[in-house]
Amino acid sequence: MIHKEFRQIFRDRAMIAIIFLVPVLQLLILSYAITTDVKHIKLSIIDYDKTPFSREIVRAFSHTERFDIVQQNLDLTRIGDHMRAWKTQMALVIPPDFSKDVQRRLHPSLYIAVDGVDGNTAGIALGYAQAILVGFNVELTTSPIPASRKKPFHLVSMIERMWYNLELDSQQYMVPGIVVILLTIIPMMLSAMSLVKEKEIGTLEQLMVTPLRKHQLLLGKIIPFLILSYVEMTIVMTVAILLFNIAMNGSYVLLAFLSFFYLLTTIGLGIFISTFTNTQQQAMFVAWFFMVFGIIMSGFFIPIENMPEFLQKVTYLNPMRYFMTIIREIFQKGSGLRYLWQNSVLMTIFGVLIISMAVGKFRKRVS
Amino acid sequence: MSIIKRKTVVWSIARKEFFHIIRDPRSLTILFLMPVLQLVMFGYALKMEIQQVNLGVMDYANSPSSRQLTDYFKGSTYFKPFDFDASPDRINDLFKARKAHAVMVIPFNFDRELERDVSIPVQFIIDASDANAATTIRNYISQTLQEYNEAENRLTSLPFEIRNTIYFNPDKKSTYFFVPGIIALLLVMISAMLTSITITREKESGTMEQILVSPIRPHQIILGKVLPYIFLAFSIGMVILLIGIFLFSVPFQGSVLLLLILSTLYIITALSLGLMISTIAQTQQVAMMLALIITLLPTFMLSGFIFPIASMPRILQYITYLIPAKYYLFIARGIILKGSNLLQLLHPTLYLLIMSLVLMVVSIRKFGITLEK
Repeated sequence: MIHKEFRQIFRDRAMIAIIFLVPVLQLLILSYAITTDVKHIKLSIIDYDKTPFSREIVRAFSHTERFDIVQQNLDLTRIGDHMRAWKTQMALVIPPDFSKDVQRRLHPSLYIAVDGVDGNTAGIALGYAQAILVGFNVELTTSPIPASRKKPFHLVSMIERMWYNLELDSQQYMVPGIVVILLTIIPMMLSAMSLVKEKEIGTLEQLMVTPLRKHQLLLGKIIPFLILSYVEMTIVMTVAILLFNIAMNGSYVLLAFLSFFYLLTTIGLGIFISTFTNTQQQAMFVAWFFMVFGIIMSGFFIPIENMPEFLQKVTYLNPMRYFMTIIREIFQKGSGLRYLWQNSVLMTIFGVLIISMAVGKFRKRVS
Repeated sequence: MSIIKRKTVVWSIARKEFFHIIRDPRSLTILFLMPVLQLVMFGYALKMEIQQVNLGVMDYANSPSSRQLTDYFKGSTYFKPFDFDASPDRINDLFKARKAHAVMVIPFNFDRELERDVSIPVQFIIDASDANAATTIRNYISQTLQEYNEAENRLTSLPFEIRNTIYFNPDKKSTYFFVPGIIALLLVMISAMLTSITITREKESGTMEQILVSPIRPHQIILGKVLPYIFLAFSIGMVILLIGIFLFSVPFQGSVLLLLILSTLYIITALSLGLMISTIAQTQQVAMMLALIITLLPTFMLSGFIFPIASMPRILQYITYLIPAKYYLFIARGIILKGSNLLQLLHPTLYLLIMSLVLMVVSIRKFGITLEK
């Protein structure tokens, strides 16, 4: 029975390639795109001062990859229009007589205009610009003032320490998440499709009249998917660690152990789907719906903490959420069961519940 | 064939296809309901703003001025500071238990430095396992410190001041930014999936042979098949645009008419993409999978929907030129949020126009070849 199932899976190679290989490759490659880091902000300079000091400020902006100076000496009134045409994201305005006024201690102002449509980028861009300009302020106060005078102001500055991910490389976080998605798609789709296929072509009835017991029949279905999922997981993790330099800081044994309980959930869901769909196409649609819901509500792209309160509560119903946390914590922080037991217990409860419900429903349908 | 006759041929194919669509009310309901549900779900779930950052405070100075700094963080909407009186090696446990996102360490000589130095360093340890969240947290910290510095130094003024103006979205709300993106994603997916099965369906059911023996020209079939879908996708687009703008109260700045016209152009581009898939794929299942693979993830990740294109690796940046949603996002965000006019959006409009023409011509050619075989 197990043997037969394996043969059946491998027969339809083209479809397997489309369903499994392509999304995996896409995710691995596209995970390079996942960054909210802000670089190459399109900056326009409007320098009415035109002194060595103002040019020094402009130079500070041109010397970082965070800003790309796209336009010099833009007309002040045209800033809005340039933003509407997506030609500039930020404008720095140095007013006339700026450096003279600084020297005369008249405390002049510099003006920054930023396109706020992408609020996140706007906030970060403002932060970068202010950091550069505050640097000039500090320099101006430290150099020309005689040592006898008390320092006129104090600035608390940040020294940042990024733990677990020094380079702020978002792939370290996304790729373990991809493993979760894989361990969801493959077992769920394969088990749903294979059971529905037997239904469609009528071989389920044939299996029924053989002396096989019902639980033997189901085990014969489940075990190959379990093995296949583990194989796929090993391959993807090997690729991730060797090719994408993903750091694995935790225990492989713990990961494999906890994966088992998650696979119960996803295989269970697959069997469940097969009980109320009649064609492979329907099964695929329903599975896709579960996938989209699961991925959004798992914290894969969007941190759950960012969501509104009621959606955060909904995520507790999503088994993917628990495994997403578990796998990332194991990979990045090397956390042990001591820190993960709550997530593991909830995930196991879901797994046992879903698979027993699915098996129950399947038996009822069969008999 | 005369012009009038040619027109009637296209028209009758369009009518046949149209009845084919509305005959199946269940699929029609799914077509309208699924995108609306996804729009609502995405719209509420997609948020860049981290609601509250749990900040552990290790205050070694324990002086009035250090407590003042902590209080400043308490007063900010971004942070939920709590006292963390433990040795530094316990920070690891704190992060592993996911009780804090960041830890602020105020040195014991904080007060002395405050009197002596211009720049006083305070250490912030951030759990960077989620690199993007860490970037946001760093940004919040530096903003808060900036405000603190301004408030503390009010009496002694700086050599020069910095004044900001934020255009178009002063509250920097991420929902306004994301709603046009969700609409772009849903429109391209639905349109491509809709047309991707049209021709494959005929191939599968064998009705293609019947078309073969009829005197109809390839471009007539293609046009006839696309017309009703433009109408259908346009109605779906209207529904999600209206719901998106009103439900999330997105301020509408520009011309409604311009948005409608350019949205239609985008829909046509997506439908042509579906058509091309349809001429390649042999079965409906393959066609649908292809449509999903080509539209879903690339649009989600490479269109500038969430992740800024300018920060991506070079090679991926080149690929983004092939993503229709990239151009539609310039258009939709420009018109809705900034009130851009056609002249300012000329570039993306031209790109979409060229893209749809190329796709259309390629699928007609490809279709013609299949017919001749």
